[in-house]
Amino acid sequence: MVRLTVNGRTADADADPSTPLIYVLRNDLALNGPKLGCARGQCGACTVLVDGRPVRSCATRLGDAAAPHVVTTLEGLGTPDRPHPLQAAFIAEQAAQCGYCTSGMIMQAAALLAERREGLTEAQVAEALDHNLCRCGTQPRVVRAVLRAARQQGV
Amino acid sequence: MGAATLSRRGFAAILGAGAAGLAIGFRLDDAAAQQAAPQGPAMLRANPRMESWVRITPDGRITVLTGRVELGQGVLTAMRQIAAEELDVAPERLDLIAGDTAETANEGVTAGSQSIRFGGEALGVACADARATLLRVAADAWGADAATLRVEDGVILAANRRMTYAEAAGRVSLARPVDLTARRKPVAQQRIVGTSHPRTDIPAKVFGQQVFIHDMRPEGMLFGAIARPPGYAARLVSLDVAWARSLPGVVEVVRDGSFVGVIARREEQANDAARRIVQAATWRDGAPLFGGRGVFEHLLNAPSTTRTIHTTPAAEAQAARTHRVEYRRGFQAHASIGASCALAKWEDGRLTVWSHAQGPFPLRGDLSRGLRVPAESVRVIHVQGSGCYGHNGADDVALDAALLARAVPGRTVRVHWTHEEEMVWEPWGSAMVVRLEAGMSADGGLTSWAHDVWSFPHSTRPGGTSGCNLRSAWYLENPVPAPAPVDGPLPNGASARNAVPIYAVPGQRVTTHFHTDMPVRTSALRTLGGYFNAVAADMFLDECAALAGQDPVAYRLRHLRDPRLVAVLRRAVETSGWQPRAVTLGRPRVEGTQLVGTGVGLSKYKNSDSHVAVVARVAVDVPTGQVRVLGMWSATEAGRAVNPDGILNQIDGGIVQAASWTLMEEGRWDSRRMTTEDFASYPIIDFSHTPPIRSVLIDRPDLPSLGVGEGSQAPAGAAIANAILDATGRHVPEIPFTPERVLAALRG
Repeated sequence: MVRLTVNGRTADADADPSTPLIYVLRNDLALNGPKLGCARGQCGACTVLVDGRPVRSCATRLGDAAAPHVVTTLEGLGTPDRPHPLQAAFIAEQAAQCGYCTSGMIMQAAALLAERREGLTEAQVAEALDHNLCRCGTQPRVVRAVLRAARQQGV
Repeated sequence: MGAATLSRRGFAAILGAGAAGLAIGFRLDDAAAQQAAPQGPAMLRANPRMESWVRITPDGRITVLTGRVELGQGVLTAMRQIAAEELDVAPERLDLIAGDTAETANEGVTAGSQSIRFGGEALGVACADARATLLRVAADAWGADAATLRVEDGVILAANRRMTYAEAAGRVSLARPVDLTARRKPVAQQRIVGTSHPRTDIPAKVFGQQVFIHDMRPEGMLFGAIARPPGYAARLVSLDVAWARSLPGVVEVVRDGSFVGVIARREEQANDAARRIVQAATWRDGAPLFGGRGVFEHLLNAPSTTRTIHTTPAAEAQAARTHRVEYRRGFQAHASIGASCALAKWEDGRLTVWSHAQGPFPLRGDLSRGLRVPAESVRVIHVQGSGCYGHNGADDVALDAALLARAVPGRTVRVHWTHEEEMVWEPWGSAMVVRLEAGMSADGGLTSWAHDVWSFPHSTRPGGTSGCNLRSAWYLENPVPAPAPVDGPLPNGASARNAVPIYAVPGQRVTTHFHTDMPVRTSALRTLGGYFNAVAADMFLDECAALAGQDPVAYRLRHLRDPRLVAVLRRAVETSGWQPRAVTLGRPRVEGTQLVGTGVGLSKYKNSDSHVAVVARVAVDVPTGQVRVLGMWSATEAGRAVNPDGILNQIDGGIVQAASWTLMEEGRWDSRRMTTEDFASYPIIDFSHTPPIRSVLIDRPDLPSLGVGEGSQAPAGAAIANAILDATGRHVPEIPFTPERVLAALRG
């Protein structure tokens, strides 16, 4: 058993500590946010926050994310009633096509906005998201959404 | 963690759909776009029952159905707009069912930019008929003239009377064939169609709600994985199945010939067991791919079927000179971010499959032949997947899941391919060679145009009437082989898609050299042959313009007769602020250590659909040959725009994807299989290489809606190619334009 703190709750996972975190989040904890993409840390679809830092949950061992570390997924960021500014901005900019990469984009951007918001440039957003891949070609909309969120309060 | 937040949600809702039966033997594919004929939309003639399109019941529910499926292109939002418009009901009040073989119309494959043009028209006519029928009920009840009644959000209103659709539906049967003469609303009365209605699926995606097939978690679900042979032609000699069953977490091992799959309690256990089985099994290698030759050599020299499929009368004037060029493109992948996934469950000999394939009905047919069961015993339900951009592994994985689930009746098995599995085993977009030859008069005008294309198939989708186009069927002890591939005929074509020039040139000839033998399996990648044929043609046109001493825009205008193409060309150039200049071959445009140039691409997709012009500005780094796209501008006209923002999302997305194809993407292989199996060996464009894009849309409410989902790929690629020609003065004949190839051209 490995004890996890995910989105403010505690859960015990019956899996080997060497198990990639993504499988536990998705299959044991039934969280949809983190998406399994390349499983090699190259695409960013599985990005979650561990202690506020973005990590690839496909390349993070369950044991390394165990409590007292704190894991946040897309579900923990906001809800339809209380959306995170990034979630609201992705809707406002219609910044998705298939949406498979969206969770990873938002989590990576959440870490960026937690660091800095003022004076954020397109180039800085692009650099921060450079290892999050989108095959539909929504990059320009994603950049606009992140800049829109950066202008909002309460990040 | 609280059970409430971790409940297995979503699945019950998907299972909850009813099971009104509808089975029609019918096929449509990419290559056979159906024109709306005078006797009504083709989709309605093939699927005439009203209840296949719209159901309005006395309980007040309004259900809209479409055989088209959501691929991330926003089609279900557009369908909802069309239905809401014709029914006069708020879009969010409609229940929507898409792509379920037990419920919806058989609309073949959601592909070829045909959903709105054909499926949307059919849905619109069915909804218009439903509305008119209910209005007549109210008119008869009130002794009123139906023309004096109006509808507000599903309530029929007269001066001092009201009747809900539910009430009217209780007095008439809508379970009948659609009246094909029903008239849709005139454009002037449309209030929902033509607006940028927000995508209905995006909120769920940004909040992590259950949307994707990968997120389905029915109670007791097991995880499957396939132990793939080391090469396409390799076959299994021996495997210790008892040992394989003893691997951690393994519930069952299925071996049928060279097909080996494993079912486990946990996903990572299934994947790990499959990996170990591949290593432990003994395999027999097949012949080396392409006989050890390069693919272009293979395309040009191995036996193929040559057919001249298009000619026009020759010019009266003699050519003063002839220009000839060969262009090449390697294999390219769909490279979805999320690999293909399916769920399958057998119960009492009946199979239910959840799939993100583009064609639920065609998939059902191939599943039935691959599994040797009647089609009626198989139900395929579409659930969204990661964007596919054509025929990727989505269909194949459904057979994998079904083959495994058969070993554990009553339990659902989910198979989610690994990304490597997708890249190696999915059908690739065909490598192609195009040779162009034109005659030119003394004043530079084109006097003839010959386009020869060498290609593997561009559609080996499920949906035939025999054989099985699902990969694992070929590896069974008693295999079900694939049917012989066919090339799609003109006007829309497959290997020859967009090979007929959009320019008014006499003496046209289009010839295909079609290979049906596929050492690397190929199928539909967004636009089929359209991207490369049109890119090659537009590159060639710029070279002809340079030889004629004219700038690329003036030279295009000289050869254009289609006013819609002229309009988008002028608009894109105007938006970009570019002042076109004639290219001088061999003379670069130097700015510091860079060569900077601008180019244009122009296309009418499939020679029948959206009109798109793209301008690109690039910088070429002289020491390295690296191409950087500085900016792109586009103009699109596709008739009536149902959802303008949805169109711009598709156009811009296509431009970004085409930039990636054109500059970066190329599959490689060894003697056994494709080896470009991850995003390191097969990189796709990232944020910092995505250019700024400015796109404008020309709405033509007076004209029918045209397909737009694939419209920008070719002109975007051509614009980049022609900007490189403008910058360098050099011809770079092979896509992708890697630094090595550009450098070779600069030194050549």
